[in-house]
Parts: sequence; structure tokens; C-alpha cells
Amino acid sequence: MTWLRRPAHVVAPVVGIALFLLAWEAVVRIGDVRPFVMRAPSQILAYLGRAPGDFLAASWTTAWHAVVGFLVAAALAVPIGAGLAASPWLERASQPVLVLIQVTPFAAYISSVVLWLGYGAPPVLFIATLVCLPPFVIATVAGMRGADPATRELLASVDASPWEVLWRLRLPAAMPSLFTAARYSIGLALIVAYLVEGSNFADEGLGAIGRRAAANNAADPLWATIFCTALLGTLGLLGIAALERVALRWHVSQRRLLP
Amino acid sequence: MSAGIVLDGVSKRFGTLDVVDRTDLAVGPGSFVSVVGPSGCGKSTLLRMVAGLEPVSSGSVTIDGAPPAAARSAKRIAVVPQQPGLVPWRSVDGNARLLLDVNPGATPAAHPDPAALLEEVGLADFAERLPHELSGGMQQRVALVRAVALGAPVMLMDEPFASLDEITRTEMRALLARLLALHPATVLLVTHSIPEAVALSDRVLVVGPRPARITADVTIDLARPRPADVEDDPAFVAHCGELRRRLHEAMGR
Repeated sequence: MTWLRRPAHVVAPVVGIALFLLAWEAVVRIGDVRPFVMRAPSQILAYLGRAPGDFLAASWTTAWHAVVGFLVAAALAVPIGAGLAASPWLERASQPVLVLIQVTPFAAYISSVVLWLGYGAPPVLFIATLVCLPPFVIATVAGMRGADPATRELLASVDASPWEVLWRLRLPAAMPSLFTAARYSIGLALIVAYLVEGSNFADEGLGAIGRRAAANNAADPLWATIFCTALLGTLGLLGIAALERVALRWHVSQRRLLP
Repeated sequence: MSAGIVLDGVSKRFGTLDVVDRTDLAVGPGSFVSVVGPSGCGKSTLLRMVAGLEPVSSGSVTIDGAPPAAARSAKRIAVVPQQPGLVPWRSVDGNARLLLDVNPGATPAAHPDPAALLEEVGLADFAERLPHELSGGMQQRVALVRAVALGAPVMLMDEPFASLDEITRTEMRALLARLLALHPATVLLVTHSIPEAVALSDRVLVVGPRPARITADVTIDLARPRPADVEDDPAFVAHCGELRRRLHEAMGR
């Protein structure tokens, strides 16, 4: 087992997190912070322990919203990005639209989308997909453009079809930047899920609990949702990192320079 | 219909820049012809036009009587680029098979076995490694194997050993000669190394500064197979001297 031989890889992050939680606990207790401003980790855990089923179900809903939006965005972005990488004209035409999507705060149009798409999951998934789309598209275009020109010529020299060039060269070449976009987008998707769940009148998910708690000045449930969302984000990132280790075994980012 | 590579009045202009000027050339089937010239003289452009990767401004290129596009789609051209151009996610073996895997309909039924070629160039133990685990010379050997594995009748090489050190380069020359003895092909090699051209070629063409135009055509009559110490042969030294003179003339025109 690698982690047995390299305790620093596991021990260091655990120590880091433990110190952070201790400091947090200390600030709340010694500083006598008002409950609504911040709850200590021990208090959050104690509260979660009283109704673990509710928070598990809500976390599941939020995770499902975020992951589906994230995956749909990735699935749409790869063909769109491939098209844009093939045509500089299309890329120039779509660049402003992508920037527009990126810079417009989605929080501002949540209510409109809920009115349009109705209660429940549809507005959450729609906005999550929309928000994750630009980073994935931009990553696909940049990654595909970066494919080694020598290999491109080589494939042209045996008359490879555009499909083969895409599949054998451009898509694998885009994987590193796609993973970078994934790390960035998974957090975005969670933020979207949390915020839209608070506005979609479905009363499901961590966002809905958080919204209700905030309206009632209920610190415990609010901080419980914050804690669960952070945990979901961490799990998402760990999952992506694990996939990356396997899928990008060949890439510079996965090499250990020192033993 | 003439076999081998035939260029008839081939010119290339980029805007107002003449890069290649009315070049005629015939490379007979099975022969090894090198083009020697200074950097930036347009010799790489010439090679890319032979492969049809760069359109000609005027004139024509045929490969075994067919236009380059037809030769490419029939996989009758094997290219060895200056950079190895290995894909980093494929193993050495996977890279050796890359050109066989694409456009598979045109892959000849009887092509050299990549695994046997890797063995031949001393990379059998590295077949499952990834390219980044290999030295520059080893990577270029994989690029050679990838080209030879195609079993194509024509091989186009664009300064394939230029980025290697002198010792590795000499090794690669011998290796290439050995591979070609096993799997003969018509070869057009572009290089700026006179010893490399003399060691490998049946004929060496000298090209002056841009626009590229062939100013000398020297037949190298050293017997094959050429021994490892061919570079000490007085005839070899004399050929190099003559080509150096011709190159100086071409540069000073």
C-alpha cells in the first residue's frame, strides 16, 4: 500500500484539517461568538447526530443535483468544444456568449428560471448545467488546440479522418484541461444547487434547509448544511483526483519528481 | 506512370515570398536521396509538398504515378517528422502501431510487425513504457519503427535526427540503414548534416538559400551495406568535401 510507505501523504492533510477544526472550535468557544455567526464543529456534529437521516437525504438530493448538472455540462461541452476547436470563426462567434454566461451572476436570475421551469429539480439542473458549461467548453477548445502539431501532420500523412483525429488525438490531448475545469466546476455546481434549492419551492436538499434556517435565525440547521456542503465538495474533489490519477497516468501533473 | 517520387517544376510562394523555385526531381524506386541545405532554405517545405501536406503553387508531384493525396489515403507514404510526435498517453508499442490503427481500411495486409521492429531497434523491453520514460534517442527510434511498420513504399524524413546528440545520431544512421535493408523503401531525406546524407544516400542534392533550387546532384557510390567505420573511408571523406564545396557555391550564388 502506497499510503503505508508514504505516511506524509495521508498524515499531513489529516493533521492540517484537525488543526483547522481545533482553531475553529477555539475561536467559537474562547471568543464567545454569537451562535448565528458561527457554530463550533463539535456543536455542528452534535446537531447532525440528532437527525442524521434528514441531513443524509438532503445531502443526497444536493449531490444528485450538482453531479447531474456537472455531468450534463461536461457531456454537452465536449462536442461543442470540438466544433469550436475545428472552426476559428465559430469560436470567435461563441466567445462573447460564453463570457456573458460566465460573468452574469446566476443568483440574479434564479427566480426567473424557477418561474419558467417550475418547482423542483428542473431549474436547479438547468442553472447548474449553464454555469458549468463555459469552463468545460473553454477547456475543451484549449486542450484540443494544444494537440502536438507533429502528431497532427503525422495523422494527416496517412489520411486519418477528422473523427479519428478527434478520437485518437484531440480528445485525449484535452483531458488534462478538462480535469482542471472539472475541479473548478464541481464547486460551482454545488453552489448553484445549494442556492437554487433555496428558491425552487421544493423544500428538498441542503439549500432548502439552509434557506429556512436563515429565515428563522436557526444557527444549528444552517451550520449543519454548510458543513454537509463542504463535505460534499471535498468528496467531489477527491473523486475527481482519484479519476485523474488513473486517466492521466501519462501526464506531467501525475508524475512524482522526487521519490 | 513512373515509379518513385517525381517533381515537375514545383514552386511554392507564401504571399510574395518565393520558398521553392521550379524544382524538378526524380527519386527512383528503392533509392535513397537526401536533400542538403542551410536552415530555412525551403527544403522542409519541399518535403511537405511531396507528402501533399502543403499545396504546391505550381508544378506537380507524383508518387508512383499518383498524386500525393491518393498516396496518403492509400497509406503509401510513411513520414518521420523532426520531432518524434509520439502521443504521451500511448505506450511505446501503442505508438508504434498508431499509424496502423488510423485509416485501417488502407493498412496493407502484410506490413512489418511493430513488435518485431521494436525488438530490432532494442526497445522490446520498453514496449509497455510511456514515451516520457524514454530518452530522446529512444523516442526517435519509436518514430522510426512507427514509420517502417506501415510497410509503405515511400518514406519521407524531415531532419529526423537533428535534435539528437552526435553519438546518438551516428547510431541512428546505422539503425535506419539496417531497417531499410530489411524493409526497402524509396526514401527522401531532408537534412543539414552532410555526413548523414553521405552515409545513408545513393544521391545527395544540394539546395541553396531560399528560394530552394537544386544546384548540385552528387551520386554516392559507396557499396552497401556500409560498415560502421564508413566515415573513415577516403571515398566518404572525398564525397563530404565535394558536397561542402558545392554547398558553399550554392550559398554564394
